[in-house]
Amino acid sequence: MQPYQEEYIANIKEIAALSAHVAADGLSFSDYETQLRNREELVEQKSRRNMELLTHGLFPVLDDLFEAGEEECRELDSFASQLRANGDDGLFRLIHQALLSLARQKGDRSAMIREIYWLGMGHHDLCSKLVGLELEAVEKYVSQMRLCFAEAAAHLKYYDEIDDTEIRSYILRSQANMSLGPFKTPGNKIRIVRDTLRIMQDENYREKAPDLPWDSYLYMTHQQMASSISYNKDHVMSPEDMTSILESAYIVYQRRMKELEEEGRPSLRWTFPYYSIEYFCGLYDLNRLLKKVEGMLNAADMTDHSQEGIYGILSLPAYYCQYLVQAPDKIWGREAYIDGLYRRALEYVRGFSAAEDEKVFICLRHLCFMFIESEGGMPYSDFLQTLMKRFMPGEYLHARMVGEAARSLCELIWEEEPSYFDDIPEIAILMDPEKKRRQILETAMDSGLLHDVGKLSVLELYSRTARQWTEEEYEVTCLHTIAGGVLLGERASTRRFAAAALGHHAWYDGSAHGYPATYKRLECPSRQMVDVVGLLDWLENAIHSARVHTGIEMRFDEAVEAAINLEGRRFSPLLTARLRDRRVTERIQLAFERGRREAYRQMYIQELTGTEK
Amino acid sequence: MIGTKAGTQGAETRISELEKENAALRIALEAAEEANQAKSRFLSSMSHDIRTPMNAIMGMTAIGQSHIDEKARVQDCLDKIRTASSHLMSLVNDVLDMSRIDSGRMTLNQERFSLADLVHDIVVIVRSQAVQKEQSLRFHIGRIYEENLVGDPLRLRQILVNIIGNAVKYTPAGGSIHVHFAQRPDQKDRVDTVWLDFLCEDNGIGMSQAFLERIFVPFERVQNAAVNKIEGTGLGMSIVKSLVDSMGGEILVESREGEGSRFTVSLPLPISPQARKTALPDGAEVLVAESRGDRSEQIEICLREAGLRPVLLEKGLEAVTYLTEAHYEGRMPCALLLGQELEDMAALDVASHVRQLAGREFPILLVSDGDWAQLEYRAARSGVSAFVPCPLFGSRLLETLSRFVGSGGEDGGGLGFRDGDYSQYRVLLVEDNELNLEIATELLRMTGIQVDTAEDGRQAVEKFAASSENYYDIIFMDIQMPVMDGYEAARHIRGMDRSDAESVWIAAMTANAFVEDARLSREAGMNEHVSKPVDLERLQDVLSRRLS
Repeated sequence: MQPYQEEYIANIKEIAALSAHVAADGLSFSDYETQLRNREELVEQKSRRNMELLTHGLFPVLDDLFEAGEEECRELDSFASQLRANGDDGLFRLIHQALLSLARQKGDRSAMIREIYWLGMGHHDLCSKLVGLELEAVEKYVSQMRLCFAEAAAHLKYYDEIDDTEIRSYILRSQANMSLGPFKTPGNKIRIVRDTLRIMQDENYREKAPDLPWDSYLYMTHQQMASSISYNKDHVMSPEDMTSILESAYIVYQRRMKELEEEGRPSLRWTFPYYSIEYFCGLYDLNRLLKKVEGMLNAADMTDHSQEGIYGILSLPAYYCQYLVQAPDKIWGREAYIDGLYRRALEYVRGFSAAEDEKVFICLRHLCFMFIESEGGMPYSDFLQTLMKRFMPGEYLHARMVGEAARSLCELIWEEEPSYFDDIPEIAILMDPEKKRRQILETAMDSGLLHDVGKLSVLELYSRTARQWTEEEYEVTCLHTIAGGVLLGERASTRRFAAAALGHHAWYDGSAHGYPATYKRLECPSRQMVDVVGLLDWLENAIHSARVHTGIEMRFDEAVEAAINLEGRRFSPLLTARLRDRRVTERIQLAFERGRREAYRQMYIQELTGTEK
Repeated sequence: MIGTKAGTQGAETRISELEKENAALRIALEAAEEANQAKSRFLSSMSHDIRTPMNAIMGMTAIGQSHIDEKARVQDCLDKIRTASSHLMSLVNDVLDMSRIDSGRMTLNQERFSLADLVHDIVVIVRSQAVQKEQSLRFHIGRIYEENLVGDPLRLRQILVNIIGNAVKYTPAGGSIHVHFAQRPDQKDRVDTVWLDFLCEDNGIGMSQAFLERIFVPFERVQNAAVNKIEGTGLGMSIVKSLVDSMGGEILVESREGEGSRFTVSLPLPISPQARKTALPDGAEVLVAESRGDRSEQIEICLREAGLRPVLLEKGLEAVTYLTEAHYEGRMPCALLLGQELEDMAALDVASHVRQLAGREFPILLVSDGDWAQLEYRAARSGVSAFVPCPLFGSRLLETLSRFVGSGGEDGGGLGFRDGDYSQYRVLLVEDNELNLEIATELLRMTGIQVDTAEDGRQAVEKFAASSENYYDIIFMDIQMPVMDGYEAARHIRGMDRSDAESVWIAAMTANAFVEDARLSREAGMNEHVSKPVDLERLQDVLSRRLS
């Protein structure tokens, strides 16, 4: 690799380490805060340096790629694979897209198959990062992935003409990978996997490339077939589909399960999926499955930090809740048990170091998406905040600053115009001015704190992207509004903050500059509060949080002026009018700083005690 | 008793006659009273119906004024004002039409028109109403023998929009409406006339048998709680019936209360001489990706009739596989027609990938009944070369295809952009009403064109006379004006002794949108008729046709 490429990769690694949570053991609050501030500054410096490396190193090469030599292309390829290994799949895609264009331009079929395969893998990495979103929201990215694999797999027709084993392997893997990701019509997945199984078992293909790991390909294809069961839960399966799935399930799970049992080390990771497939195939009912899972949950070991332990304490409860969400009548009588699972999970993750954050976070996020709220149990908001403080400190910091500033601005508005927020029914019904004031301030604070929880769905783009976003990445991050709206809207205690999560990037004039289109400002009773959160989110991003990923960097007074210039278009004139009053902007600025300190304090307390507040 | 038998008989006869006359008079009186009552009911209903949108206009204006700084709020008010105004306009139009029909003054135009244009106009009008009610409004085109016909497109449109509009009105939110157009020959051997068969079927509130019997009687409307809030004069169906009758057609209504209605209209329409044929390479392969069976079948028929060879697929993945293989085997189809529904993914995602795979020149046509204005930006970015709107007409599909196939693949503005810059042209706008003048000037200036104004016909004549030859490109002329009306002014201009007196384009601007008004305008030497109130689209239409 070129020196600039090596430096970039080293920076990514460092930034990942700097972005993780900081253990507070043995640190005073002041030292803890200083450390966090220093880390933040270092991340900014390194990200800025990364942009310089790309601007002066990578982009000139991509600009003149058609004149690039083979060595240069090989280096790019190595750089791309290092990028992927370190989580920068955005740049990985960019490089392979460029290499694909080059291959197309040269008419080099082998290079084209290779590049289209890797581009497909890049899209697959992106899809894997879009968690908890409906197919409709992510369909575009899934289609991009599948179309790449389909194009590479189309060369199967010319398998005999291709001499290179590596290229043949790309074709076969592309054929198999077409079944990755969610499908609009579940039967299509099974059909693709069945075709792939037929190809993987065909001696004609095997004979021509005997060095390929055929057994591994076949096993992975069976895995795909077995996993297609979950996409079929809402559909009646044909006997043929069911037979295919059960056959694959036997090969993938049952055989392994028995082997492990015979070795005296039964494994939840093998047992549960098999039970689940049996349930989906109608071999027994949900009650029996739930009982079996409860038995496994009870046996899970809190001291086991291996994959098996993580599965038992974090993943299995998520699957358990997933079944309960689909059959709400089964929740009754299990509320305390479920609450216990959440508390246990949060306690469990405290035992992991920062280096293990990623693998733990993925499982805990799944649990968060499946969270079932019950009376007397842990409020969803508490669970979310605990998760944010530990796994997305940068986002928590931003949310706390927005929350504090929203409370401050709302207090000013309330003083001048007590009925300003009366479109919100819970506020309108309060006759006692003090109660109304408290309710407004509480709503403002919590709306600010939770407005960005949708970032959980695309967190890697925030926490692992050590440079400015590409256009495509920016587009993906926009989905956080939809994801947040859904997460908060599905639970009773957070439903009233869902509008802020959904609408805080919408423009006041309803124009398409804002997003998402599903937020209709004039139809939203909470629009005045959403406007407040939207304004303060924008201001905070402009002066602080968006610096790394968007390159926007303003002083506070510049940001205020810019916001005023967007009056009536991006922002409500009723709010920007207030920004013309210096006393108001001073209070907002103070609130931002107060929010920042309070965020550090909250994270510090959680690090020490593991509790909320 | 005095008198003879004959005298008695004569008296009895007379009495009997008088009784008959009395009875007839009684019936006439009852009829007159009923007519009077109907008139009163109509006036009362009209005054309510007119007041409702008027109140909305006044109310929304007041709200807009009180929130003048909130752009989104003002925008919302303006949208509502526009809706109410257009409703008010349709009420007034209905009453005027009925009065024309009643007095026997309704005449029909006989002009060439394109069925495709007519249907697309109708779709544009009714689609937004159905979208608002989240209804499924599907258009289907059956066998079409000839798209270029002769008739009165304005009145034809009125018939069809009225019927579909009613279906939208009387079908609850989420309901479905199906519209079908087809043609059949008048007689087996005659090819100079076709029958246009139109069917509109909905699953709306339907009508009772009693109401069905009175559906074509003026001022009747379905009376029940579900429709109390639905506005209308109750004249629409009477107008439709009168128009269909005067065109020599037939109309049939079937309906069941609570289940829906089905309107069938058949109209004989003479065929207009065939327009130019599109030149497409015989036997060329066209790849069609569409999962809607009816749509792909229609595309297939159109392509086969044009001598092309369609290959039909239902999935995006299949299309990419097909094109990848075709690319390597050097047998690329001449174009990809992407339907709006694919079984596995969005059409634009496929377009985007195919553009990369097949290169810049490969024609990708999107065949969709989506709103192009909304699709355009994304479609263009996804590599779509052109758009074929649905309901699908063969002429549209083949014309668009021929722009890319066989003639070097040049897109002559296929993405539908309107003509833009008119800054080199000059119009004379003649209008006596100050507000109308201001609005029309503003609208024209939005197109970049230079605008001179005159307040009446005489001023217009003077301005034209004082200008150098060919100074004005178009004159927009109001008709009803003090001092000198538009007809007279046009006649004066045409009678001047200068080279542009005959050639300058004069467009009448008038709310009198009847055939004879158009005739009067033509007789006065005007070139065309722009109905009032003018809107930007209509003015742009004149400008683009005249100046582009």
